[in-house]
Amino acid sequence: MFRLMLQKMWHKKWMTLSLLIGCILLVATAISFPLYQKAAYDRMLQDEFNMIVSKEGRYPTVLSVATFSKRDKSGMVKKIEDFMDTVYDKVGVTEKQTVLYYILQKTPLRSDMNREDAGDIGVALSGITDLENHVNIISGEGFSETGMDENGCIEVLVSEDSFLREGLLLGETLTYEALTDVNGNPIRIVIKGIFRVPEDDMYWQENSEKISFRAFMKMDLFHEMFAGDNISKYTVDCRFYGFMNYDDIIYEDISGIVKNTKYLCEKSAFRSVIDDPLYMDTIDGYQRKINRISATLIILQVPVMIMLCAFLLMISGQMYEMERNEISVIKSRGSYRSQIFRLYLYQGVVLALAGGALGIPLGVLFSKMLASTRNFLEIEPSFALPVVFTKNAFIYLAGALLLTLLSITLPAIKHSKVSIVDLKRQKAMSKKSLWKKLYLDIILIGVSVYGYYSFHKNMTDLSKNVLQGESLDPLLYISSSLFILGLGLLFLRIQPYIVLGIYNLGKRFWKSASYISFLENMRNARKQQLIMLFLIMTVSLGIYHATVARTILSNALENTEYLNASEIVIKEAWPLSYNPENKAEASYVEPDFTKYQTMSIAKQTARVMIDDAGYISFKNSDRQVVTIMGIHTKEFGQVTNIPDGLLEKPYYEYLNELAVTPGGLLVSSNFKSKHGYKVGDSIHFRNKDGKEAFGTIVDFVDYWPGYTPVKSVTDADGSISEQENFLVVTHFDMLKQRFNGQPNAGVQPYEVWIDLREDATDRDFLEWVEENEPVVVKYASRDDNLQNTLEDPLLQGTNGILTMGFIVTILLCAIGYLIYWIMAIRERELMFGVLRACGFHKGELVHMLINEQIFCGVFSVLAGIGIGKLASKMFVPILQQAYASENQVLPMKLITNAADMYRLYGVIAVAMLVALIVLIGILFKMNVTKALKLGEE
Amino acid sequence: MSDVLIKIEDVSRIFPVPGGEFTALKNINATIDKGSFTILKGRSGSGKTTLINIVGCLDYPSKGKVFIDGREVSNLSERERENLRRRDFGFVFQSVSLMPSLNAYQNVEFSLRLAGHKIDANTQKRVKDCLKMVGLGNRMTHMGAELSGGEQQRVAIARAIAHKPRIIFADEPTAELDSAMAANVTQLFRTMAEKEGITVIMTTHDVGLMDAADSIIELESGERINV
Repeated sequence: MFRLMLQKMWHKKWMTLSLLIGCILLVATAISFPLYQKAAYDRMLQDEFNMIVSKEGRYPTVLSVATFSKRDKSGMVKKIEDFMDTVYDKVGVTEKQTVLYYILQKTPLRSDMNREDAGDIGVALSGITDLENHVNIISGEGFSETGMDENGCIEVLVSEDSFLREGLLLGETLTYEALTDVNGNPIRIVIKGIFRVPEDDMYWQENSEKISFRAFMKMDLFHEMFAGDNISKYTVDCRFYGFMNYDDIIYEDISGIVKNTKYLCEKSAFRSVIDDPLYMDTIDGYQRKINRISATLIILQVPVMIMLCAFLLMISGQMYEMERNEISVIKSRGSYRSQIFRLYLYQGVVLALAGGALGIPLGVLFSKMLASTRNFLEIEPSFALPVVFTKNAFIYLAGALLLTLLSITLPAIKHSKVSIVDLKRQKAMSKKSLWKKLYLDIILIGVSVYGYYSFHKNMTDLSKNVLQGESLDPLLYISSSLFILGLGLLFLRIQPYIVLGIYNLGKRFWKSASYISFLENMRNARKQQLIMLFLIMTVSLGIYHATVARTILSNALENTEYLNASEIVIKEAWPLSYNPENKAEASYVEPDFTKYQTMSIAKQTARVMIDDAGYISFKNSDRQVVTIMGIHTKEFGQVTNIPDGLLEKPYYEYLNELAVTPGGLLVSSNFKSKHGYKVGDSIHFRNKDGKEAFGTIVDFVDYWPGYTPVKSVTDADGSISEQENFLVVTHFDMLKQRFNGQPNAGVQPYEVWIDLREDATDRDFLEWVEENEPVVVKYASRDDNLQNTLEDPLLQGTNGILTMGFIVTILLCAIGYLIYWIMAIRERELMFGVLRACGFHKGELVHMLINEQIFCGVFSVLAGIGIGKLASKMFVPILQQAYASENQVLPMKLITNAADMYRLYGVIAVAMLVALIVLIGILFKMNVTKALKLGEE
Repeated sequence: MSDVLIKIEDVSRIFPVPGGEFTALKNINATIDKGSFTILKGRSGSGKTTLINIVGCLDYPSKGKVFIDGREVSNLSERERENLRRRDFGFVFQSVSLMPSLNAYQNVEFSLRLAGHKIDANTQKRVKDCLKMVGLGNRMTHMGAELSGGEQQRVAIARAIAHKPRIIFADEPTAELDSAMAANVTQLFRTMAEKEGITVIMTTHDVGLMDAADSIIELESGERINV
């Protein structure tokens, strides 16, 4: 049996090879997804954590426990201390550091020096793990070995703030009168050192003000004296911080961490003392993003998988078709059905295993490709992707192998039933396709058009849902696919009539080659349906996917570019200078601006004063937050731009209007639409410090560099609402003047917007920053953010999957098309022999073939183009809503890239040309007399 | 005294086979008269089909010459031979050789198109006449698969004669027919030859059909055994 199978496979080696290619692609496509997903999701998780570090300046994964131990006899503190040792295992993470932080109840403290100026001193005796490594001692020194001096005074370190506020002296000894040691002696402390907390040390879970109310003693000593066995004698505020290593956490850990943390917080014995961990919010946000991405990417991948299965079904179907006679003869001679089925099952197993063996390395390659996709059909191997086989990958692999096996062997079940008698009977009948009888095409179009209208109507709801973290509605994607499929089938229904129409037009004039090709095509319409549908789907999905990919990415990039109005934005820290005579009067000290102007890598620089917490009182409503922007029109115009078509007039005209009107204001259009303002109206507004300014409206703008007109805000209950943002743009110098004479007057802190030279990058700028060391409080690089957008797993994954899907389907289509036509010629060898015998020239054969290719291939491609364009026009605007991020500002544009289309047409043209050449080769090699013999069975 | 239309001169055909050569025809000489009905007789494998293929310009002789109307055809270019086949020859094959996608009428009309006739009322009448002549006047719109073997073969004959060829080559046209039908078809050829003045060359191994022939060329193992 096995030998028979190998012989059979060898005999049809081209088909076997095609099946193998299909298997390999199916396996590779299937496993590339989890491989990519794993790597992308791990990266995203780290991004989330790092974002917390950079934006909020706190350690992202801390579990904190707090208890107030009042002469506690229950041993709770000891229990928590033990619990902290095992908490990492319980959560499912690794330990970075456990910090215990104990604060004794504050009791009066008096200096032993009887200083007149020293009143009650408000620092509580405290101990914290590993203090020495997280403070900079600016005066005095750290703890001694014992933590006590020779007089039995406890050494303490205090912060600079408390030192100054309390008027302490270094080396001063003080006594807690109401606090005694276990032997009843009052506690005496000595100020051993003064420290400053390093700014970016995430070890500290308390702000510096709170820290300034502590006197820190050596932790070991604290534990010995006031905690441990003695805890029941004191009142201690106990805090425990479990710092978990977040860089060790991977995607697979997340669900365990969530489950375990929930258990600890809700069900464990310690539930009442554990603070709600902030990392749960981070993870929750992450999971929502992940779910949305997973759902979206799976939906995008499904059509490719379906095409692959359809391909395998088609080829194996063809193979059985060829072997039908053999099968039915074997069967008529008494072979069991199961034997025939086993023959094909073995073949399926061999192919699936071979496909698996070759598909895995290809899948790894595919996943790398997914991670290197910059745009549709643009692959740039720049992002390193670690490939890790997870459980998920194996599940996908198993699924793919099963699917392969099913696709290859399923047709055998059908065929193994057929005996030679049935076969002859079947051949004599030419049934109408089932889908035609069921009007499947019309139904599909109806359903999808209904979907289109309902989605179209609810477009705003759709984007809201997405912003709330819901995944892309599969129905939306399915609607577009059904639409394409429905139109494809409809085309198949009418294609024979088109051919018939052309045939009838010149019925009398057609030369023999055309004549026969018309009739052949009409007659074989049903046989061609599958390959034609394949072609139509490939082309139209190709166009549709190209448009989807281009549109979502272009819109996202354009939006990022708009929000990052200039290449670099930097803001320095502005120190305040107090008036020595009146402490309430202070003004900002302006850092040197000329250093930016003289920077060699900068082309243009602009000072932009931005205050997004200003406010305005409208005529008829309450106070409204407004963004105030002070600009030098010329400088500003040189570093910013606005995409064409967003504003009613060219961008520079607005700048000119402002430039020529002293005291003029450009305000956002919602001043007009929401509050009825018009040009010439005067507006008073205040900055965040309450300083007032005013001006006259010269024009309204819908968009402005960096300005977001409407912002989606997530409310506490997770629902999304829209919030209008108001913008006032005016002269930098006018703001300066108007604010003069008011508190903190003069120049307000401004941002510097920089346009770099063409040959300079943001990296050069960062080098400059390192050299010149300005104190940076805000830095944004447009290139950085564009890069982030490109690497956003949702966009990148979408582009990657669509690109990969496109390449795979086009490959399948080319192979499928070739195989179909080779089969179609082999089947008709006798007919071609007769034609040649009757004196048909070779040129006429070529003519006939070309005609057939036109009716079948070119017609399908043209239909595919039309359907793809229509589907893009209808569904892409809805689909892109699903990709819009919450900071999407610009109106969406439908983007098609001509190069994509040419590439698509080019590949298809080449595939069809190759098919034609191969077919002509086969026909020319055909021997007339041998072909005629074929008929004499 | 009738004219010689075809002259076969010392024709041999040798096929290369694995490990040597196979001589399918050996020094065949024959003449066939214009308007005659000639039967190539012989057992299976005797070389009948090879000979009819060579004379019908479907194959080249390895040695020797074939003349039609005094003109050597065995050295013509592929193109000239094709033209000869489509205008001057008609073929009927043993197996079903109708175009599967064409109905009976279209099959017959097709040979007219091939021969370069413009399709008009005359040609339409010719197609119908031919089909009537083979007794299928009432089945013109049937597809090949809807006709019996004999009917299909008769359509093939109608197709072979429609463009008024000078010679009809029929390779075992009766092999798949019962004896009554075979006699019927053979009679049809006979009538063609007489009525339309077409020269008919037919191969058969059926001895019962020999009576109809004007002349018989008998082959055995690639050699002519009757002179």
